[in-house]
Amino acid sequence: MIEIGVKKQYGERVVLDVEKLRLENGRVYAVMGSNGSGKSTLAKILAGVLKGEGDIIYDAKKPRTGYMPQKSFAFDMSLTSNMLLGHAFRSRKEYKKKAIAILEEFGLRALIKKNAKKLSGGETEKLALARLMMDDYGLLILDEPTAAMDVNAVENAERILKEYFDRVKPTVLIVTHSPAQAKRMADELIFLNEGRVAETGPVGKLMAEPGSEELKRFLSVNF
Amino acid sequence: MWSNVTAAFEKAFALMGEGNTLLNEIVATTLEMSLQSSLYAMLIGVPIGALVGVMRFPGRKAIVLILRTMMGLPAVAVGIFVYLLFSGTGPFGGLGLMYSVELMVIAQVILITPVVAGFTETAVSPAYDAMRESAAGIGLGKARVALLAANESKYQLVATYLFAFARSVAEVGAVQIVGGNILHKTRVMTTAIALNYNMGQFSLALALGIILMLIVLGLNVVAAVLQAGLKKRQ
Ligand SMILES: Nc1ncnc2c1ncn2[C@@H]1O[C@H](COP(=O)(O)OP(=O)(O)O)[C@@H](O)[C@H]1O
Ligand SMILES: [Mg+2]
Repeated sequence: MIEIGVKKQYGERVVLDVEKLRLENGRVYAVMGSNGSGKSTLAKILAGVLKGEGDIIYDAKKPRTGYMPQKSFAFDMSLTSNMLLGHAFRSRKEYKKKAIAILEEFGLRALIKKNAKKLSGGETEKLALARLMMDDYGLLILDEPTAAMDVNAVENAERILKEYFDRVKPTVLIVTHSPAQAKRMADELIFLNEGRVAETGPVGKLMAEPGSEELKRFLSVNF
Repeated sequence: MWSNVTAAFEKAFALMGEGNTLLNEIVATTLEMSLQSSLYAMLIGVPIGALVGVMRFPGRKAIVLILRTMMGLPAVAVGIFVYLLFSGTGPFGGLGLMYSVELMVIAQVILITPVVAGFTETAVSPAYDAMRESAAGIGLGKARVALLAANESKYQLVATYLFAFARSVAEVGAVQIVGGNILHKTRVMTTAIALNYNMGQFSLALALGIILMLIVLGLNVVAAVLQAGLKKRQ
């Protein structure tokens, strides 16, 4: 279990103010909200790449955390080398096989020797996600992981992610703009509005009967 | 004026064509010095620059400022400083390095390392910003990230090396003081140029300048070819 109570402000402006948010181990949480509502800020603070005021409390040891930023990054090297970045000093051969298998799943098999800087936006996003699939994380934070992908690629990525969730059973925070994706992927929904948690609960239930006006409005435009 | 320049070109090609032993010797000494100076400056300056480039703490700006100021170190002042350190009465006088190529290299490393570090920092810092979150997201440590940021900036680092080499080849103030422009020992292109200028041999001085430029051009061509090859391979 993870208990989040964090606040972030830039100058006078409070962009995130989460008083108490609980993530249960092994559950998948979708984070939704309009642009600028603080989704990425929440993801960054939880991932530890941004400092905020307040605390994140873990019930046990802090889990191994994997994080995919909203803007995907390709390191200046081959796709395979990108995949092996976290495994520099471990048995290369075995990991290389795994890397190629994962790249193949993402439909990047033909490109594995290419320099990753040459990939398109959607391909770069696939690579960033594939890179995370190399490891087993206790906490996985994905900031709009499929935003640049085409419909088929989204379906494929979701299938790979689901397999990963089933196998590794991580606690997941996935930021998404698609209510449909939230429904397909997540157990719970966290709806942010102007930096605050406006509503949270089981995805299906919240979508069927949104409690707050904000979520109601949000869903009516986004569905 | 133009006749001087034309004569200089003629002289430059004549000197290179005839295989002048003195010229060859001076060119060899120049290369010996510059290849070492630029290499050592890179070996020290790149890690410093990369480290500062990936540091994010309040005092960072001050360090960058110091680095950039040191990029403007006056060559003559560095020459005098090194002279005082290594001359007979200086603290390192006992090493007997005065008027040697080694000491010219030491002076130039002091001169060029801040430039290398400064350029490296300037290249690595934005590369680090761009990759920082993604690298942390797969659990990469700081040292690893510094290396990766340097890798992202490898073309700038090649340019930095070329600049370091060019600066070393073309520098005269420091090497004149600590090297003494001794024939058959520490005479390099720039000090030979200065000497010939002082003796009123303008076209010979210019000719040596032209040959110096050709050396720098040669290295740049080699680097460009290597870079093109590297790019094509990917
Ligand atoms: N470094 C920054 N300085 C000032 N404002 C920022 C900074 N980073 C983010 N913000 C602001 O914080 C708000 C929340 O951003 P973000 O969490 O990225 O929103 P989103 O929900 O779209 O992911 C936005 O209004 C954004 O402009
Ligand atoms: Mg965002």
